[in-house]
Amino acid sequence: MHELSIASAIVEKILEFVEEKQIMKVVEVRLAVGELSCVEAEQLRFCISSITKETPMEDSTLEIEKIDAEVVCPHCSYAGRPKYWDDLLSSGPIPTLQCPECGKAAKPSQGQDCAIKTIKYVA
Amino acid sequence: MIETLEAAPDEIYDIELEHSLLEANAKLARDNRALLDGHGVKAVDFMGAIGSGKTTLITRLVEKLRGGFGVAVFNGDATTSDDADDIAEQGVPVVQIATVNGCHLDANLVGKALRKIPLEDLDLLFIENIGNLICPAEFPLGSKARVVVVSVTEGPYMVRKHPHMFLGAAVVVINKIDLAEAMDVSVERLADDVHKLKPDIRVIPTSCKTGAGLDEVVAALLAV
Repeated sequence: MHELSIASAIVEKILEFVEEKQIMKVVEVRLAVGELSCVEAEQLRFCISSITKETPMEDSTLEIEKIDAEVVCPHCSYAGRPKYWDDLLSSGPIPTLQCPECGKAAKPSQGQDCAIKTIKYVA
Repeated sequence: MIETLEAAPDEIYDIELEHSLLEANAKLARDNRALLDGHGVKAVDFMGAIGSGKTTLITRLVEKLRGGFGVAVFNGDATTSDDADDIAEQGVPVVQIATVNGCHLDANLVGKALRKIPLEDLDLLFIENIGNLICPAEFPLGSKARVVVVSVTEGPYMVRKHPHMFLGAAVVVINKIDLAEAMDVSVERLADDVHKLKPDIRVIPTSCKTGAGLDEVVAALLAV
């Protein structure tokens, strides 16, 4: 469960900031999670709430913004949303690196990262 | 007495952090890569489910390569050193990386292990990740290329069940093809599934038992 590693990194970073700025309470945290990052938002939410008990982050609101995947194709210069593989076994369509225009291999250009965007706090 | 703190809107500060969570690992991975490149060592990391045959494949590759190349192996395993012991019988440097409760190797652990091997004597480093198809995908280690090992014994839907793993791979080894008929699994369909996800992946069917495809894997790894 790599969401716990990511959650620990988020909480560590924010608590570091809290200490540095002498913040009393964190009110809201906004994260941006890329569609290609393999980070599962609900698991991340659970991990963060589990490890922030009795910290200034406890009970803060967690907003998770999903960043869409985008690809660029070096063969035909296509840039935009990837081709999806609608698969009955999976809960949703799977983004692929097959160019939607020419079918050759495209490269991911957006949606691979997982980042803390903003935090709101009471000083 | 418990006091509840309710901040008035003008007391709430909103700041942009723009802090990437994967960047810390990605930076360490770049450091590892620079260290490896500086010594002319090419690292390849292997991912795949438990039982897909990663260790056996690496052992066979080491057998074929150790005569002509300096080879070392990092073996990621949650608790045991069984796999590392098997590979060490080949007489090459092996570092067992125990993650204990961690489900993936990360660039920091690999960086520590790099300090334990004679980089100046090496040409190739094989890094065997933990047997886990979901977690390791987003933690680059600093290797030049990634190999995903799937075996026909994992059933016909292995690739489509774990699509993320393949998006970052250069080579996919479909292992245990000697058992394909008994398992009623089509190697061609697994290969088609891989190419649907990423058309430029090199797919190599192998059997570590019969030796089929192993020379092709060696050639592919030397070429990446």
